Amino acid sequence: MQIKDEGLVMRSWIRVVAALALVASAGCVPSGDAAEAREPAIVRRAAQQPQPTPQPTSGAQPTLIQHPEHIQPGLALRGGFSQLANPFEGDRTKIKEGAALFVSYNCMDCHGADGSGAMGPSLADGRWHFGGTAGEVYQSIYEGRPEGMPAWGGRIPDDQIWRLVAYLQSLGTGKDVSTENFTGKTIQKMGH
Amino acid sequence: MRIWHFVLYSIGIAACKKVGPAADSTRVASASAPIVADARIGTPNPPGAEGEWTMPARDYASSRYSTLAQITSTNAKNLKAAWTFSTGVLRGHEGQPLVVNKTMYLVTPYPNVAYAIDLTQPGYPLKWKFRPENAQAAVGTACCDVVNRGAAYAEGKLVYNLLDGHTVAVDAESGKQLWRVQMADLNRGETITMAPIVVKNRVIVGSSGGEMGVRGWIAALDLATGRELWRAYNTGPDADVKIGARFKPFYATERGKDLGLTSWPGDAWKIGGGAVWGWLSYDPALNLVYHGTSNPGPWNQDVRPGDNKWTCAILARDADTGELVWAFQVTPHDYWDFDAVNENILVDMPVKGQARKALVHFDRNGFAYTLDRGTGEVLLAQPFVPMNWAKYINLQTGRPEIDTSKTTKQGKLVKNICPSLEGGKNQQPAAFSPQTGLFYVPTNNLCMDFESRPVSYIAGTPYIGANAPETGGPGNYKGEFMAWDAANGRKVWGIHEPFPVWGGALVTAGNVVFYGTLDGWFKAANARTGEVLWQFRVGSGIVGNPITYTGPDGKQYVAVYSGIGGDMGLLIAGDVAANLPFDVRERGTTLPDLAKYTSWGGMLFVFAL
Repeated sequence: MQIKDEGLVMRSWIRVVAALALVASAGCVPSGDAAEAREPAIVRRAAQQPQPTPQPTSGAQPTLIQHPEHIQPGLALRGGFSQLANPFEGDRTKIKEGAALFVSYNCMDCHGADGSGAMGPSLADGRWHFGGTAGEVYQSIYEGRPEGMPAWGGRIPDDQIWRLVAYLQSLGTGKDVSTENFTGKTIQKMGH
Repeated sequence: MRIWHFVLYSIGIAACKKVGPAADSTRVASASAPIVADARIGTPNPPGAEGEWTMPARDYASSRYSTLAQITSTNAKNLKAAWTFSTGVLRGHEGQPLVVNKTMYLVTPYPNVAYAIDLTQPGYPLKWKFRPENAQAAVGTACCDVVNRGAAYAEGKLVYNLLDGHTVAVDAESGKQLWRVQMADLNRGETITMAPIVVKNRVIVGSSGGEMGVRGWIAALDLATGRELWRAYNTGPDADVKIGARFKPFYATERGKDLGLTSWPGDAWKIGGGAVWGWLSYDPALNLVYHGTSNPGPWNQDVRPGDNKWTCAILARDADTGELVWAFQVTPHDYWDFDAVNENILVDMPVKGQARKALVHFDRNGFAYTLDRGTGEVLLAQPFVPMNWAKYINLQTGRPEIDTSKTTKQGKLVKNICPSLEGGKNQQPAAFSPQTGLFYVPTNNLCMDFESRPVSYIAGTPYIGANAPETGGPGNYKGEFMAWDAANGRKVWGIHEPFPVWGGALVTAGNVVFYGTLDGWFKAANARTGEVLWQFRVGSGIVGNPITYTGPDGKQYVAVYSGIGGDMGLLIAGDVAANLPFDVRERGTTLPDLAKYTSWGGMLFVFAL
């Protein structure tokens, strides 16, 4: 497999290095195997103890696990993850930091550069398996998802999850197209 | 640099000036004379009847050759679809069915359902269907689609691996699970995709996860109980690698204490890859199991100076104990993700005038190696696809003379490395015919740019640290199905394909060779000339390996999975759009028009005259 990179994340090495320094100082990488295996330098630099279990920093506390693709009898309940707002949404500094975290936590190797999809699904095509609101994306990172998405809640600081969400929100939505037309000399996209 | 590349490419194709049907017909003295004389399969006939297929590559030599000859190069044009079966599963159908006791056995990609199909009854009803317990988290832990490369049959048991790291044995008559053993740990990024073989009541299995910072291993289980008999790691101290008094590698660079530890910085060997996700072979006379090992982790080579033994290597182990008897590191200190897990085909033949017990291996790195399988000596190594990262393989040392302009380094964007990380050939297994003496090889023609970047190890997540976008190699084709003369290191004929040929080969005593394509064609070609005799458009692209068998009605059948996926078809053919401008998914850029020809599927197709 291979992951191609064309994005914000890697355009400036200086930016990445600076962001990684920030990551290291914030403390982030889960312990366990990482610490035990005594990895190459970059990891040792980043490895820290896990943070205490974080809680969402804004909005109501989630009271139940909610799968937005499910029909909710009696319409949606208030107070779920889906209604959490991202305190960092649109904050350019936080987005850059989130982009660096996206690389250093190996999100990019699963989900592709700029979240374009690889081992794991695309995060940039506007099609979401578990909902695409800020709170729902937060929930996916925090709790994990059944087909191998790790549960990062309790492993990385809450504010880092929101930085990641801010980065993903910055990628925009609706980049996918509904129609592909293969009849021309080159493949044409229709829609949007 | 361009000129140098052109020179290398010219050398690469010099062995095959004419490509396509009847390329070398003038050389063929008669219709029955072999093209490479005195070459034969290096192991005894496989267990079971002539018309059966009981293990992944039909025999321990991994020949994928069948003596069945009802279907010939004369009548193959009359082949028709006889029947089909939907596996109920999408994603990549690598691997192959088995046929034993008038029953066909299938194993699907995750969730690894097994089916037993009764070949004696009209409509081919199921005898049973087995749905194993199989952790869903495995789906996102597997790097390169949720494939399974098939089962092995022995003593009334069907044995295969589950993506979530278990090995299971199922009663072949009833479908009842006999045992289930956890061999790999998902939390460490390990999965299992390979097909086991059974050697003297031992089930040999190995791990996947070279992109996840695993420590690769191979193990033997008791066929009767599933109890682990031995496990050998491919990195670390000699005791773990099972290197002892019997270890006699051919080359000096493979000798020394604890090389699996000292050829790595610090403890990097603990997360250094060397998985065993490819094919196994076995020589009963030498009692050796042959297997390759995967790339070292991470791809970013800056963090792992040294040879990184025993990654990217071919290893020969005692089947009873797992002891390493010889080792040959095909690509020392891999810079390019050139796993050495491709199949090792055991053939006895004269090489340079001397009779040899040979092992033929078409490596990801683009070289076709002919080795002495008793010692690990490299007898021949020639590029079989466009290749520019090495000048040649030094036969005195076994090591490549590397073109240093193609070595990768963090902060350096290296352009136009051929072949790409998918290799000149990947998992798609080749076949060998003793009738022609030729090897039939599905290949890729891809090149890449490579840029390493910083990488962190976090257990259970990828450990890669590089970006490597691919493009088509020289010439207006991205795959080629070719016939190779491994006694002389030359291509005899080739059939260009628009896409990498990601399915395996089958060759028969009827002088017919079969293979499938990503764009959904199943083809029969004349094994001597490469003339395409017949083709059929199946439902979804083919990444599986054809087999042939005799039905209860006495007729010869040919069966193959259709169902695109695996690393090459993973992304393009699923629920994603092709070739979007913003889209950097690998297949969207490498094979932008593939989605025009195929989508996901999951079918067995069976053909007959």
